[in-house]
Amino acid sequence: MAFNSHRDFFQVLEREGELARVKKEVDWDGEVGAIGRKTYESQGPAILFEKIKDYPEGYMISNGTTGTWSRVALSLGMPRRATVRQIYKEYETRVAEKIPPRLVGKGDAPCKENIMLGDDVNLYEFPMPLIHEGDGGRYVGTWDIVINEDPETRWQNWGMYRFMAHTKNWLTGWPQTTSQFAFIMNRSYLPYNKPMPVAIVLGADPLSHIIATAGIKPFENESFYVGGLRGEPVDLVKCETSNLLVPAHAEIVIEGEAMPDQIAPDGPFGEYPGYRSGTMCAGVAVRVKAITYRSKPLVTMIALGTPPDDSSIAASLTAAVAMKEGLLRHNVPITDVYVPPEGVTHLIVIGVTKGGTETTRKILDFFTRRRVMTNKHIVVDADVDVFNMAEVLHCFATRCHPGRGILYEWYEGRSNSLTPFYNPEERKKLKGCSVAFDSTWPPEWEKEIVPIKASFNTIFTKEMIEKVNSNWESYGIKL
Amino acid sequence: MKEWQTFVRRFSDMTEGKRELFIKDLTPGTAKYDTKHVIAVVARSATGLTDPNILWIRGESGEKAVEPWYIAIEQVMKEDCVPGKPWEDVLDAVAKRAK
Repeated sequence: MAFNSHRDFFQVLEREGELARVKKEVDWDGEVGAIGRKTYESQGPAILFEKIKDYPEGYMISNGTTGTWSRVALSLGMPRRATVRQIYKEYETRVAEKIPPRLVGKGDAPCKENIMLGDDVNLYEFPMPLIHEGDGGRYVGTWDIVINEDPETRWQNWGMYRFMAHTKNWLTGWPQTTSQFAFIMNRSYLPYNKPMPVAIVLGADPLSHIIATAGIKPFENESFYVGGLRGEPVDLVKCETSNLLVPAHAEIVIEGEAMPDQIAPDGPFGEYPGYRSGTMCAGVAVRVKAITYRSKPLVTMIALGTPPDDSSIAASLTAAVAMKEGLLRHNVPITDVYVPPEGVTHLIVIGVTKGGTETTRKILDFFTRRRVMTNKHIVVDADVDVFNMAEVLHCFATRCHPGRGILYEWYEGRSNSLTPFYNPEERKKLKGCSVAFDSTWPPEWEKEIVPIKASFNTIFTKEMIEKVNSNWESYGIKL
Repeated sequence: MKEWQTFVRRFSDMTEGKRELFIKDLTPGTAKYDTKHVIAVVARSATGLTDPNILWIRGESGEKAVEPWYIAIEQVMKEDCVPGKPWEDVLDAVAKRAK
């Protein structure tokens, strides 16, 4: 049975030894972020901070809910030792089926237990963390689901974008200009100078947050994919101040309007590529009209930074599956796609059944033709396990010809301005460059000249392999 | 002295004199980092300022300038934001208003 909320999920995490409850009082001003960061960097557990300085008893902050592959596995109801390949496969299978959400009334929506409206709205009543010292503000929206709607088609987009407190009833945030949030705002609100209703959701069920990171196609509702992933519908309830539908079991729902004609500073913020780099004061301003929340509410935080963390793990999963689907639709002969969390979606590994320059160029064209979030692509042969980075590195080191095997593509107007190595001008103009490393044997080479990999399974006869395997114990070598 | 914080792209962008800016309240408590939109006189020294507060400057990657500046707030604006389109540079928008 699927988890309805973070609270259900924490029970399982605790049982599996994947949750630490911090009962000591901690400071929302830098301390929770520092603890969260150190824990990520030590591959530690999810954290529930149960006592927050300045805040009433019961108000909590969490970190790292699905910040490791084992916790992602648990969120899917899989054994915690499931391999990355198994998790990818399970995710891929489940999201192929879409299950529409179920609309519930206020009485069945724990997120409506408490309601602040209008002049009563006060974001500072919640323990919003200052995550990294030197951030532009207190980021209440890190592990969040941001919902907005295209009024013409009624498509409700879910995305994960950063939002910080500006004042007690204003947020500022930075969905990228190439995001679906921006697409809807530019298409349906800015031309008419209309504010756009927005809901920022904290602490829904864990799979809803994972799907919010996915690059689902425009005009497709993420809530349907959440249903497929859960194996049952997600419960949604209508907002107080708009027609947006939000997860009914969420901890906190911040309802507001993104303004078409007012701006205020956002950022800087230590972001998912693992750096805090110059992207600030170029976002959106949201006037908050209502906050609904559960009693003893939980602010779901991720102390974003160097990988791995929830962001890099979720993006690895959702992006890889989406990329694989896209490449197959474009007739690229792939075996699989891996997005190593360490590469923070900047680096992708693509396995192909037929390599060479033409395939590599097709892959580079696929990744650069629209919004470009990635920039380095290692293309490997089918005999390389894309999930095994040691094999991938060996393949890259030994098969990518420096003179013939590196393909580039420059572009403008669609790069990822969070990319740390872009200079300020490139970030402003969304200029960028992507590269593909053809690490495959040229398909035109005759079989006799293709090097044979000197590994146990490839350079010995089948008979010898069988003989050694069947006699292994008798050799007395413990592996 | 009360302490505030503001962000600029480069430390050299901060100049002495009267200006419009957004400042963050560093007073401990639940409203720490609340933003005020102000008209203020900013200077490297508190000398000559009326009721000066400390103003810390941070650059666009969040790095803090070593030495504090000082600020005398003349007016707290009613508007929490400035006119502009989403994704426009707020600092440029404020600078244009000054001209």
